[in-house]
Amino acid sequence: MPAAAPLDPPEAATALPVRDTRRFARDRALFRNFFRRELTTRYLGSVSGLAWALVHPLALLAVYHFVFTSVFRTTGFAGSSFLAFVAVALWPWLAAQEALQRGTVSLAGYAGLIRKVAFPHEIVVYASVAATLALHLAGYLVVMIVLRAAGEPIHLEGLLVALPLWIIMAIAVAGLTLALSSLQVFVRDVEHVLMPTLMILMYLTPILYPLTLVPEGLRPWVAANPFGWLVGRLRDALLDGRLALEPSDAIALVVAVLIFLAGRWMFRRLSPYFEDFL
Amino acid sequence: MTKLLTLRDVGKDYAKVQSRGGRVRLVFDLLRGHSAQHAFRALDGVSLELARGESLGIIGENGAGKSTLLKIVAGVIQPTRGTVVVNGRVGALLELGSGFHPDYSGEANIDLAAALLGLTPDEIDAKRDEIIAFADLGEHLRDPIKHYSSGMVVRLGFAVATALAPDILITDEVLAVGDESFQKKCIAWMERYLGTGGTLLLCSHSMYHVQKLCSRALWLKDGRVVRAGSAADVTQAYLAYHEEKSQGRRAPIPQPQAAAAGVYAVQSVTLEPGDVIAQGAPLTVRGEVYSPDARMPVVLIGIVRADGTPVYGVASDMDRVALRRLAADRYAFGLEFPALALLPGKYFVRAHALDPEGVRLFDNVECALTVTGATRELGLVRLPHRWAIDAPEKRNVV
Repeated sequence: MPAAAPLDPPEAATALPVRDTRRFARDRALFRNFFRRELTTRYLGSVSGLAWALVHPLALLAVYHFVFTSVFRTTGFAGSSFLAFVAVALWPWLAAQEALQRGTVSLAGYAGLIRKVAFPHEIVVYASVAATLALHLAGYLVVMIVLRAAGEPIHLEGLLVALPLWIIMAIAVAGLTLALSSLQVFVRDVEHVLMPTLMILMYLTPILYPLTLVPEGLRPWVAANPFGWLVGRLRDALLDGRLALEPSDAIALVVAVLIFLAGRWMFRRLSPYFEDFL
Repeated sequence: MTKLLTLRDVGKDYAKVQSRGGRVRLVFDLLRGHSAQHAFRALDGVSLELARGESLGIIGENGAGKSTLLKIVAGVIQPTRGTVVVNGRVGALLELGSGFHPDYSGEANIDLAAALLGLTPDEIDAKRDEIIAFADLGEHLRDPIKHYSSGMVVRLGFAVATALAPDILITDEVLAVGDESFQKKCIAWMERYLGTGGTLLLCSHSMYHVQKLCSRALWLKDGRVVRAGSAADVTQAYLAYHEEKSQGRRAPIPQPQAAAAGVYAVQSVTLEPGDVIAQGAPLTVRGEVYSPDARMPVVLIGIVRADGTPVYGVASDMDRVALRRLAADRYAFGLEFPALALLPGKYFVRAHALDPEGVRLFDNVECALTVTGATRELGLVRLPHRWAIDAPEKRNVV
């Protein structure tokens, strides 16, 4: 067992709570600093950065709209328009995808700090994930409001359910990113495997099509995708205006927390060795 | 009194991994809680204690494990073995610009570095002016760090590290980079810090700095402690080691078997009272020389530093001294230095046998001499001196 380094005095057990609050305050300050840094370096470094964060999903949405309504003329979107149907699901997916991709390589950007300063490395991943998700959530809110204003059948009160769903997603994404980012330090292939994997997963998730269009025999497989569940719940809330909570919400929360704990366990096991490999 | 810093049997292994597959296996090993299978021992069995107000210098060659040790104390890396107990706030100033982001302005970096050092936002606000004043960068504070000179980066780093009022300050060679006036400011700060009970952990190649700033020193070699003790002892041993090492690379001095060849030869040399003497103590070099033709040879005694630098040499014919005749072919000599002026370190005493004319040099016998002492004087010998501060005719000399 690698001997733990008790950086706290073992005899000063009574002083520990004070020390912990202090450490927590410091970690929070550090998170805020990294979070701001993530937002500013990512989007202020390039002139069009901030706009791009909104333009990219909008452009994708326009292309999908063109392909699926003008070229393929798909129908069967449960009575709602294709635009609203896809927009509700596309933003959370892109948010999760980008959070995973950026978060996985985030530690490399802080290599200089990790090698020379003592701080909890997790904060880097949290800041990266939080910055990406926060930005896309903002875009999501804007798009929902704009679609509603344009007469699309969006139930804005559904956001009351959608926001907790985003939080569940954030917990799971943070856990996955912790695992992947710690693995990425040792095995650089993670980053390269991740991109095509996510691309394939996107088409296997009922984002661009409703589950009802999937052939009967394959439907249970597609439905088993946790992100598919999330997309379904978001559509329930925002397109159908159903605000009731379901038992599956509680299960999803538990699963998300378990993913988070597993990812954090893995990260904490590996993080003492980052300094060698970054 | 509790120690500020205690390291017990601390060791650090670095995993040695060549292939990608090896990396995957390493991850599995680490996840299962095993240690790496192939490891390089960067540090092994290091124990040390540091009380408040003490200062410790860490010396050693490149790759000896100095930085690893400092990083373990700073908490940047976890030791593989052993325990580290730190009872205070550690301020670390490791390498240039550590904790700084090159794209950020000096101001933004103050916030980042202070947050990394564990200052809460309120504390940062309270300290910011102090840091800015100490760094004294003026308008440059708004420029990105990447446009700074190395001296400016050090100024900012030092200003931030000192604002934390650390219980232990860990630093390496970085202070040598600042300009004259900033160095003065640093030294003044350092002296005030040490004077008011601050604790310093200094990693340096400058024995002068270690001797000046540190009371104790630790010499690391290949991750292990070679010697620990007073700064004077350890630095001298370290310097002597280097002198011997650089001499080892020179061609060995030939030691002709002169006596067997039937020429003038030194048969024995002894140092009295011994081969370890205190600085300023008397030293007598005694010995015997062989003469193949019953004529009295000349003997030359020299002292060289361990690296071969000559310090002093004198021959019996220079002082017109006759050797004591023991037999037709054996002559005894003795040379006394009443108060040896050599500064502490390692030396060799060499005795040469010359022909009676003092022209041809036949033999060379060496014995090691160690001079001990706790002085910080520089060079090889103490020259007779006196500080002439008070000028004779009442002029005020500053």
